[in-house]
Amino acid sequence: MSASPSPPAAEAARQGAGLLAGRPPARAAAVRALQTALAAEHAAVYGYGIAGAHLGGARRHAATRDWTAHQAARDTLAAMITALGAQPVQAATAYRLPFPVHTRAAAVMLAAYLEDRVAAAYLGLVALPDAGLRMFGARAVRSAALRAVGWRRRSLAFPGLELPAPRPVRSAPGASKPAAGSSSPARASPSAPPTGQAGG
Amino acid sequence: MAREATRRGVLAAAVSLPLVATGCRGVGGLGTPPSPLPDVAILRDAIDAETLMIARYGAVMTTVPALADSLRPLVRQHREHLATLRARLIEPRPSTRPEHPPSARASPAGTHVPSTPAAARAYLRRAEQAAAQTLLSKLTAAPPSLAQLLASIAASEASHALLLEPGRPDG
Repeated sequence: MSASPSPPAAEAARQGAGLLAGRPPARAAAVRALQTALAAEHAAVYGYGIAGAHLGGARRHAATRDWTAHQAARDTLAAMITALGAQPVQAATAYRLPFPVHTRAAAVMLAAYLEDRVAAAYLGLVALPDAGLRMFGARAVRSAALRAVGWRRRSLAFPGLELPAPRPVRSAPGASKPAAGSSSPARASPSAPPTGQAGG
Repeated sequence: MAREATRRGVLAAAVSLPLVATGCRGVGGLGTPPSPLPDVAILRDAIDAETLMIARYGAVMTTVPALADSLRPLVRQHREHLATLRARLIEPRPSTRPEHPPSARASPAGTHVPSTPAAARAYLRRAEQAAAQTLLSKLTAAPPSLAQLLASIAASEASHALLLEPGRPDG
């Protein structure tokens, strides 16, 4: 995490501080939802680092672009949480991956998986009473859904509410054999955690 | 005696329920007709929008059959949106509102459906973008769980718009 927030992060922090001044219950709920989103962004930053290592060419470029986007989102969330008087959750040193990632196809699947979890985490912000945080959350859900389309090459009916189980993504031409995964889709609450922390 | 006491207890419980439901305002509260919930109007609009979107896809698939295969997964997701939205709607007087709204709102009748694949995809792409934007504009007025559903559907529609961009024939 960078020591000083980027200009958009500072702006978001000012906005977050102004929106919830003097309303402790709303502030506590906002902090909880922001921390959940931040934890998902930490996991995504870690996961994209793994995914990118198994990709090349345009796919690697896309992974780097999305990795950078998640780093910026992480800094924005941390600044917003700090502005609300709370301590942003820290990233874990390592995260348990949902499936082995040794191939290009598995790396693509991991990227889509991370975006699904990030969308779910931001959906928690959409349930808050604050209009600004709702829109902030909704835009982030949309961004995650669009990045997921880039990886999966198809859309979901309910991004953030629908968490497909990891399974092969049939998109990467010349991809090697994908990792095995459960075929049963799962629904999860918007506050579902992203990839579990290693050892947790 | 014990049975009588039990019966009284049941009656008391039954009488107390409407008071709880009306916020314990007593008899006066019972005479007030329930005001429409704010989310009913939002749901109706979202249902109309999904119905219209499905009709648009149907019109395009009829006019440009070559697109049918690529558009079918998107239509299927719109049907899922519609079913989920309808499942949340509890209308007090269903007879006053037809299940399928009049053609003026629910079908693209009168709208020119482009006949070339590229123009037809652009037509649907614009419709998806507009629908997503409309849902987001309703977000702050909706109760929390409905707001989450609207945000999710808006993200799905934005995804459709992305898949309908030129150079993405796999939409």
